[in-house]
Amino acid sequence: MSSIRIKAKDRKGLVDVKCLMKHNMETGLRKDKSGKKIPEHWIQDVSAESNGKVVFSAAFNTSISKDPYLSFAFSGKKGDSLKISWKDNTGVTDSAETVIK
Amino acid sequence: MFKSLNLGVAAIALAMSGAVSAGPLGIGSTATAEMIAGWDIDIRPDGTGLPEGQGSVADGEGLYEAKCASCHGLFGEGAGRWPVLAGGEGTLDTLHPEKTVGSYWPYASTLWDYIHRAMPYPAPQSLTDDEVYAISAYVLYLNDIVDEDFVATKESFAQVKMPNEPNFYIDNRPDVQNTRCMEDCADPSEFTIVATVNGVTPTGHFKEDSGVAANHYGGDEPKAAAVEVALSDAATAGQAVYDKACQACHNMGIAGAPKVGDAGAWVDRIATGMESLHSNAINGYQGPNGVMPAKGGNMSLSDDEVKNAVAYMVESSR
Repeated sequence: MSSIRIKAKDRKGLVDVKCLMKHNMETGLRKDKSGKKIPEHWIQDVSAESNGKVVFSAAFNTSISKDPYLSFAFSGKKGDSLKISWKDNTGVTDSAETVIK
Repeated sequence: MFKSLNLGVAAIALAMSGAVSAGPLGIGSTATAEMIAGWDIDIRPDGTGLPEGQGSVADGEGLYEAKCASCHGLFGEGAGRWPVLAGGEGTLDTLHPEKTVGSYWPYASTLWDYIHRAMPYPAPQSLTDDEVYAISAYVLYLNDIVDEDFVATKESFAQVKMPNEPNFYIDNRPDVQNTRCMEDCADPSEFTIVATVNGVTPTGHFKEDSGVAANHYGGDEPKAAAVEVALSDAATAGQAVYDKACQACHNMGIAGAPKVGDAGAWVDRIATGMESLHSNAINGYQGPNGVMPAKGGNMSLSDDEVKNAVAYMVESSR
C-alpha cells in the first residue's frame, strides 16, 4: 500500500487536493532511549503532476511534522489524472496516482 | 385514616405501572423481547451481535467524508483535538504513544459497536446497519488493515484481525498476594493491638513474633502510647471539659498555650500555684507567654468545671 493518500476533487474548475504522506520525518536531532541520535530521515522533494504536467512542487525540510498533510489547489478538471510523489534524504521515493473526482 | 391514604397511593402506583410483575416485591414489569433487543446492542470480539448487512470501503468513503471527516479528519488524522483514528503504528512504547484504531485497538468489533452506539457525535444511533459497516470498513482501510476492495459483512467483519491484538493478554494475577494461613496459625483471641495511629492500620500483629513491624509498609513509627497517669477524681471529671473546650489550643500549643504532657512548659506555671492557674483559666490571661481567653472562650462552663480541666491538664503534665 502506498504511503500517500490523496483526495482530489474538482470544484468549479479548481481541483482541491488534500494528501497525507506517511513518513517519520526524523530531524536527526532526537535521541533514542539509549541516548544515541536517531539518524535524520525526511522528505526532501514533493511534486504533483496532472496529466504529465507538474502542477505543484515543494521542498520540505526538517521543520515539517511527521506524516505531513498537504493541501493545495490547481486549475484542472474531473477525470484528469493526478500523481503525487516524494523523495526523501536517503534517496527513497514513493508515489501514488489517482483520478480527479 | 392513614390506612385509607396508603391504599390511595398504592392505587395510583398500580395505575401508573400498568403491567404488574408477579415478583416477590410486586413492583416493576417484565421486559419485553423488543425492550431487550433495544438494549442488547453490544458486539463481541468474535462478531457475536453483528447484524446482517454489508458496506464496502468505497461506500464508506463518501459517508466518512460527510459524517466523520469534519472532526476526525479526511485521513483519520484528527481535526483540532478530536480523536485521531489512523496512524500511530509503533508509537505505543515511545514517549508519546498515539493510540488509534490501527495502533492500539485489539478488536475490530469495537469499531462497529462504538460507531453504531455513539457516532456521529451530534446524532448518535442515526446510522443504518449498512452505513455502520461501510464506515467501519473505511476506517479500517485508513489504517491499512483492509484493502481498497474490502466489503464488510457479518462474516468478513468478524474475520478482521487487528495488528495490536497480540499485545493484549488476560491479567491472571491473583487478587491478593498473601496466601491463606491453613495450619499453625496465630490464635485470633491472643491478638493484641500494639498501635493505633490514625490512618495507619497495624499489620504486624497477625502472627506473634512474626518479626514484621507494624509499620513495614513504610509509615511512621507508631507513636508511643501516652504514659498512663493516675488521675484524681477532679482531673478525671475535667478530662471531658478539656476535650470539649481546651484541647483546641492546649493539644497543639496554639497561641503560646502549654501543651498537655509537656512537663517542661508546665513546671514553672505549676510552681505559681493552683490558685494562679485557676484564676488565669477562669478570668483569662494575656502576657508575654501567650494569650488565654477566659474559660477557654466557652463562658457556659462553670468555675468548677474549669478547675477540673486545669487539674486534668496539670496532672497529665507533671
